[in-house]
Amino acid sequence: MIQSCSKPTVAHYSVRAERLGALGENARLPRSVQAIYLRPLRRKAEYGLPVCDLQLRSYSVDNVEFFADFAIRAAYYLNLPVSGPVPLPRLVQRWTVLRSNFVHKKSKENFERITLRRLIQIKDGNPQVVQTWLAFLRKHAFYGVGMKANVWEHESLGTVYPSLEIAWITQLLTTGDMTDVGKAMDESLPEIEQSLRPYLAQFGQRENKSAENAKFDILETGRFAERNNQ
Amino acid sequence: MVKMAGMFRPRRLDLSGFINTRVIRDHNKRMAIEQTEPERQALRYMIRNTSLPQRVRAQAQLQLSQMHPYTRPTQVKNRCVASGHGRSIVRAFRLNRFQFRMQAIAGELPGVQKASW
Repeated sequence: MIQSCSKPTVAHYSVRAERLGALGENARLPRSVQAIYLRPLRRKAEYGLPVCDLQLRSYSVDNVEFFADFAIRAAYYLNLPVSGPVPLPRLVQRWTVLRSNFVHKKSKENFERITLRRLIQIKDGNPQVVQTWLAFLRKHAFYGVGMKANVWEHESLGTVYPSLEIAWITQLLTTGDMTDVGKAMDESLPEIEQSLRPYLAQFGQRENKSAENAKFDILETGRFAERNNQ
Repeated sequence: MVKMAGMFRPRRLDLSGFINTRVIRDHNKRMAIEQTEPERQALRYMIRNTSLPQRVRAQAQLQLSQMHPYTRPTQVKNRCVASGHGRSIVRAFRLNRFQFRMQAIAGELPGVQKASW
């Protein structure tokens, strides 16, 4: 899954490739070193299920581009299919302030801060490997580049409600079609409700909640009573 | 109850950076608000809860009104961390407009540049 990169990046890689050609006239560099001069390699995503969104932010293009490149290479060596870096819209913050410390209202100056963002998406990754990748990036964090990751974990229905999945599979095996799966799920609903009841009964309450009329006693005790006496 | 602001003042000054009286006062207010927040919220809850007896609610109102002004969240004022100034603070940097300009020109604020568009 090779994505076309933005124009300056392509030029960047072609310059690097030229440099590589000049280097390799006499003897070839090791493959791993050669790879640094070339566009990062990528794994193919089998299912395309997004697992992790990593957003990189920086005030300088060089830093964020460099680190996005680094993150993609790291993902390749961890066997993680990756898409990106997607250049997200820049965040422009502007401030207008008076030039002077006192009066002179009409003489002002503008300042701005532009935050550049890149989005890197991991697909079909094992959650532990994704965590490893994120930890690796955190360990080798680059100066002036912030990171924010949204991680999604997926699990089968069977891990939550084993009986549900058994019903589902038996349905599938006996009839051979998926049309009655909804019916099977409906049938197993009372059982699920039964198992959830103790949790729902406590919804919005603390487990160790005290007596009902505790709030009436609050005013008579502690700091409140002290204030009354003063 | 005697309303003394001094009771919110710590023995040792737990502040660093630019300090003047107003900065310390604001800091004390923030500390006081932090400490008394549960109490205030409990009273506010009682006052608004129509299922409570009228007497309890009236008492709660009275107690809330008797709390020290320093425990009121509206008393907090953002002040410049570099000069203690209380007006036109740039929230993102907690700096006064003039301090902001000087530091931005000196390149001390990451990513902030002179803008022209």
